[in-house]
Amino acid sequence: MTTNTLVLTGTRSNERLGAVLMAAFLGLGLVFMAGFAPAMALHNAAHDFRHAQNFPCH
Amino acid sequence: MMIRLVSAALVAGFLAAVVATGLQLALTSPLIIAAERYESGEATAPAALWMPRGASPASLIVPVHSGHDHGGKDHGGKTDGVEGGEVAPAWQPGPGLPRMVFTALATLVGGVGYALLLGAALIACGREPSPETGLRFAIAGFLAVALAPALGLPPELPGMEAAPLAERQFWWIMTAAATAMGLYLIAIRRSSIAIAGGLVLLVAPHLAGAPETSHTASALPPGYAAQFAARSLGIAFVFWAVIGLAFGWAWNSVGRKSPATSHA
Repeated sequence: MTTNTLVLTGTRSNERLGAVLMAAFLGLGLVFMAGFAPAMALHNAAHDFRHAQNFPCH
Repeated sequence: MMIRLVSAALVAGFLAAVVATGLQLALTSPLIIAAERYESGEATAPAALWMPRGASPASLIVPVHSGHDHGGKDHGGKTDGVEGGEVAPAWQPGPGLPRMVFTALATLVGGVGYALLLGAALIACGREPSPETGLRFAIAGFLAVALAPALGLPPELPGMEAAPLAERQFWWIMTAAATAMGLYLIAIRRSSIAIAGGLVLLVAPHLAGAPETSHTASALPPGYAAQFAARSLGIAFVFWAVIGLAFGWAWNSVGRKSPATSHA
């Protein structure tokens, strides 16, 4: 995270755009991992969460 | 700003996961485990009550299985993760506490992910995060990823027959994205053209239609499925509401405690 913040030395709007893109990318990655990742071990670990949160499951 | 956003998302995701995990373990997990017993044929005696006379439990349970690729008694234990028919038992959490722990962990990962997306949406739309704006965006999030997909693909218990996974995942993602964009056009853009376009986006996935669920008989009592669908949506709403409220609260507490980080 520290390296990310150092990159943001531009204007306020650049900082905002960077934060938005990073959060969106990271957020989509986490949601994909919890809800969609096809790896069997991940599916089995997140199984009850996927059903409860209505992610399409198996 | 980046650190502030991630910190607030971690706090919000954690708090929402604590609440949602409790609700899931109390309300949906028992139904999932009960459904797995029907799916694996363990609960044949009660299941017989729901079947037409003369049909053996196995004759109805087998077709349900044939459309899926489950293995083992515990439904989570698929054994055919390897392409080409090679059977290798896949890892799965053990029953009881390990399973609950992994459900909690998955809820945490999902909660932080949703909180990051909520934060990104708030900042991208130029809204100052607060519990109020957080809750508004959280309701939009609930509509986009929980309610709209559930209209076409109702929350399912293990063992309920369904269309192929890839088709359902594709429709789910398209519906969530179209609903989110539609809500953005209607609630944020607000011009008449934007509202018209937003309405089209809201309705289009449902006109296109979700992948059709085949209507194979299932040994699962329908009451379980109905109860599960209602509870699932209720939990999703609470999950999102806590994410939104907590994100707005945490954003402001993080900002107050360390104002320097927001300008880092």
